[in-house]
Amino acid sequence: MKRIILALLIITAITGVVWAKVDLVTLPSRDTVQLTIYNSADMTLVRESRALTLKDGKNKLQFSWANTLIDPTSLEMLPKASADKIDIADLTYPPRVRNLGLWNIESGVSGKVPVEITYLTSGLSWRAFYMGTLTEDEKTMRLQGYVRVTNNSGEDYENAQTRLIVGKVHILDQIAELARRQYPYERPGEVPVPPTARPARQMLEEKKEMVDYAFTAYRGMASRPKEIKKEGLSEYFLYTIEGTETITTGWSKRLQSFDVDEVPVVNLYKYEQERYGDPVVRFLSFKNDKEHKLGETPIPGGMLKVYRSADDKGHLSYTGQSSFKYIPVDEDVELNLGAVGDVVVEPTLMDYETENYRFDQKRNISGWDEVRKFKIEVKNTRDITVKVEIQRNFPTQYWKLETNQDFEKVDLDTVKFTLVLEPRSKQAFEYTLTTYHGVRQEDSMRSRER
Amino acid sequence: MKGKRTKLLGIMVLLVCVGIAQARIKLVALPERAATVIRLDNPMATLIEEERVLTLQKGLNKVDFSWKGVSIDADSIRLRALDHPDDKVTLLSVSYPPNEAALVWDISSDGDYAETARISYLLSNIDRLITYKAVADKPETYVDLKSYLVLRNFSGEDFDKARVLLDYGEAFEQGIDHEETKQMLFLKADKVPITKVWTFDAAKLPWDPEKLENKNVGIPVSYRIVNEAKSGLGKFALWGGKARLFQDDGHESTIFLGEDVTGLVPVGEKTELYIGDSRDIVVTQRKMKDNQINLQKNNDERVILYDTDEIITAKIENFKDSQAVLTMIQHIPGQWDMEKCNMKYERKDAGTLEFEIKLPARTEAGPAVKELEMHYHRRNVRP
Repeated sequence: MKRIILALLIITAITGVVWAKVDLVTLPSRDTVQLTIYNSADMTLVRESRALTLKDGKNKLQFSWANTLIDPTSLEMLPKASADKIDIADLTYPPRVRNLGLWNIESGVSGKVPVEITYLTSGLSWRAFYMGTLTEDEKTMRLQGYVRVTNNSGEDYENAQTRLIVGKVHILDQIAELARRQYPYERPGEVPVPPTARPARQMLEEKKEMVDYAFTAYRGMASRPKEIKKEGLSEYFLYTIEGTETITTGWSKRLQSFDVDEVPVVNLYKYEQERYGDPVVRFLSFKNDKEHKLGETPIPGGMLKVYRSADDKGHLSYTGQSSFKYIPVDEDVELNLGAVGDVVVEPTLMDYETENYRFDQKRNISGWDEVRKFKIEVKNTRDITVKVEIQRNFPTQYWKLETNQDFEKVDLDTVKFTLVLEPRSKQAFEYTLTTYHGVRQEDSMRSRER
Repeated sequence: MKGKRTKLLGIMVLLVCVGIAQARIKLVALPERAATVIRLDNPMATLIEEERVLTLQKGLNKVDFSWKGVSIDADSIRLRALDHPDDKVTLLSVSYPPNEAALVWDISSDGDYAETARISYLLSNIDRLITYKAVADKPETYVDLKSYLVLRNFSGEDFDKARVLLDYGEAFEQGIDHEETKQMLFLKADKVPITKVWTFDAAKLPWDPEKLENKNVGIPVSYRIVNEAKSGLGKFALWGGKARLFQDDGHESTIFLGEDVTGLVPVGEKTELYIGDSRDIVVTQRKMKDNQINLQKNNDERVILYDTDEIITAKIENFKDSQAVLTMIQHIPGQWDMEKCNMKYERKDAGTLEFEIKLPARTEAGPAVKELEMHYHRRNVRP
């Protein structure tokens, strides 16, 4: 639906009677439109070009946007030719009229002038989501990335160049809230009222109308899916969808952003009682780099649904899903696919002793050691090789660990054991943890210094 | 005003024959407002100055000034005769009628004059805002800065052709009706240099992104702009207001980078505009040691004083394909001394350390990595 209307009014400036005669001269339509849609906030930058027919002298250009979600304070118009001869004197939001702006233009030229009008609107959004298909041996995965663009802005954007921004933008006000203000800049001394409970979508649904076409931009080029060009800008990534799109209000559209086959993956299993409880949690791990056939651009956060090839006839089984965060180039990806039962980690306390008691002058206990012997059993019941990471947290930073198993100190009270298990195999290791309490803490440090 | 809203602000001159007060009241004139000035130089209040020609007759004149539907601070109303000095046209007194938004000036005149008088008062609900729009170049070295003046008039009064005065620059003529908002360009500065700043404050951001379960820790990114002649600015203080930042995308278009509010920026001072978060710089900070040492005990062998032995490490990874300078802020409370630190820092105050960490761009081999290690002792800590 066309809700944004641009009208050009020419004022015949009869001396002394400024508002005497107003002529509606042209109603220029949009020549091109570009949408830059953000996903960290409900916000889209719209840039449209139109050709205005200006007359030498004073021109008034009326821009109205009833039933849309445009932020009036973001409106800007720039002449793309004869810029030095065209002065945009002011933008007026007239009294007692909503959703209307009036540009006062002083033109030194007569004739067609291309202008660019930009504004921010709410109601268009996009999100990324992914589909992963593991091979039967789960050594590689086909990873397909998609974007889904939704238009609930109230305005139809026909043949729009569509761009998506990946990144976290700092904004002060919600565009939808700015769009609903009675006065674009509020009244003086007014504290902005938080947005009403009525969401944008609901507002727009009230005047839902049937639209018999939605995405018509595929005309004549349906032989291959569109490509998405990706480039970095400041702290963001800009995805430009090939060609143009027509996104009718109320509709959304899925586009493929990438499709990479045979991404090597590691089947990583993690055990950390304090964080995940007793079960082992399955992760799918890979890296956003060239070695993994990725690494050209960061991967925007989204939901990944993982499937596994069930047979050679192309049947699939559903493995699980994981939401993941934005992944910069070269960073490791760890996708949490949830708790599993086919890899098991069982820590067992095999022995507990206290020793090295210290007493104060009153014969109260002032220090002691606690010695715990743990046996950790790890079982891989799957028919593939898996990597298992076991994190152990200690109740104090005063500790000593004795074991034959390699470990890594993560921080002052955490260690990590990493094991690789062959298909259908078991491993076990033991460690002895001594923790120092009371005055024994000092002793333990002294002994370490020695 | 021109008769549009005369009901709001009315002025009447009443002639009173000397000695016969109340006896013969004559409506002399209802003067039109002539030159009007809207002074917006004080952000707290707007001063209106208007000139009107009063038809004064010899003797005592009563001039009635009333306002309805507008909010005028009655104590702020001043009247000044412009044509005749004090001893010829004298304001004797001001009285306020009951239950009315009005006042009556008693003016003594030594002759019949068409006297131009300037009336000034503070008017509520009319003000100005400043907004900024800046477009950065692709390499983020400068911005083309535009500042807009937004006039808001909700005073109840229409102003048809007023002279608008700010605290600097030329006055300009502008009419503005009640409930009208006007936005006009008032400052344009091209190629204003900017410095891009990334800041990690250990007191504000999470230390270990791995523990966040699928959430990125964004490192706040700001543009620093200095209000000085070198920047093409520096002529006057920049008023506070909302700034929207865009960037040239290299395809004859722009993207929106983010927005922030700047406070007043006096000449010579800087402002930092927070545009958004970088997720391509990742900081993983961990405490690797936190032990109590040098314990002092009382006779009951209770610890009453100790020092600490602490190690903090921070791994900084730059996944960007451009270099960056990260400002890292660390906090150590109380009395402390540094045993060893592998990076230079500036002590900003007793408990705040600031590191400027230059990060090279990512290479084929992976992200650029720097590791900070601070080994310090907090002294004389009481349990």
